[in-house]
Amino acid sequence: MAFGGEFIFRYRSWRRILRFAGHATVAVLSPSTYSPATRAVAVRQIYFTAWQILLRYTLFAALFSLVLIQIVAATARQYGLSQHALELTLRVLVLELIPLLTALFVALRSGAAIGAEVALMRVGGQIEDLAEAGESPLHGEFVPRIAAAAVSVFSLTTLSCALALLLAYAVFYGFSPWGFNEFSRIVGKVFDAPVLAGFLLKCLLFGLAVALIPIATGLEAERGKPKSVPFAVLAGLVKLFFVISLIEVLSLVVKYV
Amino acid sequence: MEPEPGFTLLPKSLGVKVGMLIAFTITIAAAFVLYVLFARGVFEATQRLTLLADNAEGVSLGMDLTFSGFPIGRVRRIALREDGKVRIDIDVPNKEAHWLRATSVFTLELPLVGGAKIRAYTANLKDTPLADGAERPVLRGDTAEEIPRMVASLRAVLENVDQITGSGSSLQESLKSARTVTERMAGKYGVLGGMLGGEDNARKVIASIDRANALLASLNGVALKMDTVLSKADQRVLGPGGVVDETQKAVAQAQAILGEVRERLKTVDEILANAQAASASARSATANVAAATTDLAALRAEVEASLRKIASLIDEINRKWPFERGTKIKLP
Repeated sequence: MAFGGEFIFRYRSWRRILRFAGHATVAVLSPSTYSPATRAVAVRQIYFTAWQILLRYTLFAALFSLVLIQIVAATARQYGLSQHALELTLRVLVLELIPLLTALFVALRSGAAIGAEVALMRVGGQIEDLAEAGESPLHGEFVPRIAAAAVSVFSLTTLSCALALLLAYAVFYGFSPWGFNEFSRIVGKVFDAPVLAGFLLKCLLFGLAVALIPIATGLEAERGKPKSVPFAVLAGLVKLFFVISLIEVLSLVVKYV
Repeated sequence: MEPEPGFTLLPKSLGVKVGMLIAFTITIAAAFVLYVLFARGVFEATQRLTLLADNAEGVSLGMDLTFSGFPIGRVRRIALREDGKVRIDIDVPNKEAHWLRATSVFTLELPLVGGAKIRAYTANLKDTPLADGAERPVLRGDTAEEIPRMVASLRAVLENVDQITGSGSSLQESLKSARTVTERMAGKYGVLGGMLGGEDNARKVIASIDRANALLASLNGVALKMDTVLSKADQRVLGPGGVVDETQKAVAQAQAILGEVRERLKTVDEILANAQAASASARSATANVAAATTDLAALRAEVEASLRKIASLIDEINRKWPFERGTKIKLP
């Protein structure tokens, strides 16, 4: 814990990350960044981050959702609060847990990999080589990965949430069409405009953080010192978890406080 | 950047797959947004209903207006008016608006558990439909507000009950006396003991009843004796040789005597006539006077004797018939 705390509370490191985040966000949003080469990097990154794990992750999310919906439905029935069970499920599972779970999953699988890759590039001097060759490593290597990670997180979240909605309908109403009106009413009640906007914003922030923070901390590795790689990767992961938790807590505070 | 070993294993259709994934995601997201818009009633024509309340506590945006438990409208806006009343604007889809009529009543209830509920009640579904933009007052029922009031009155009731049931209370006393009474009733003399307040009194009453029974028995004997006495008296008075019989005989005798008296009086008449004739011829014949007066003296003696007999007869009757003191026998 002291080790993690050391990573979290290093002021200069955070400042570097923020500066990098500013540059990267501007670059991600500017269309001139996307040349055929960067698009190829982005496509590859999406393939690794989203497509490869799509089936496994969807199954996992479905299982997780099913168990959670069953628990909520059974408990609510026991306490005579069935009328609130579906709303609770939508608010907790679809709006909070699945995006968080997706962000953590992608962070573990791809964030760590991206961080290690960048740290190794830094140690091997490839980033300096690129800069010397006149190519911006930010635009050529980092921004496509960041954009791809954001797209992947959004995609996985959307698909898992849609699946969770279907599962919730199936658990609460079975396969009968007669629950559709009530289901629609509750969905309409839960997903009003601010909630939808907040949901999209949260997904976007999760996606950006998942790639941005590991890259920024990966750059902290020192050239020619392979031993600094694990340190940089670990620091990146700890900061990433911290930032994901912070985004989640802030979104909850804005929504409910 | 040199290709790395992992990248050489990339499939050819990488772009297609990623494109499919992104397209699929966008389709799902767009469909979901459309579904949410549909669920929120954006594509539905609605009519506006405004409810006026004193207090909007518990009312939130998106809350349902229910009719018979079914949601038929949704709160769109809550605002405080200039006069301090609360405006609750509700959108009712046109296809549900037929449940609301001009005479519908709206209530806002705050239950103890769960959120507030706005309900509509329509007594007559054939009334004129509620107009678009109608303003209606909402009746408010707040369980939480009712509870302190209920507790206060309940406490008064409980105090009363406490007073009633406390030791030394009149109810306790009544129950105690009821128990004594029932105990006495269950005792030797039963209900009588319970009513009279003790075995001694009950015993006295029973003794009195016994005595009264004995008295009745002796009265019965007396009555029987009276019967025989009466029958005897009857015999004496009315039977053969009884008082009545004798009286009848005496009356017959009296009649015979009276007949005799009448005969005698006839002779007296004749004598008087003779006397008249004699007196008429007195101037001439005074010698007969002496003879006549001797006749008169004898006659008088006879009449007196007869009268005495009648007097004694009447006395006799009076003696034998003592019940009619005032009876008089009139002589002619």
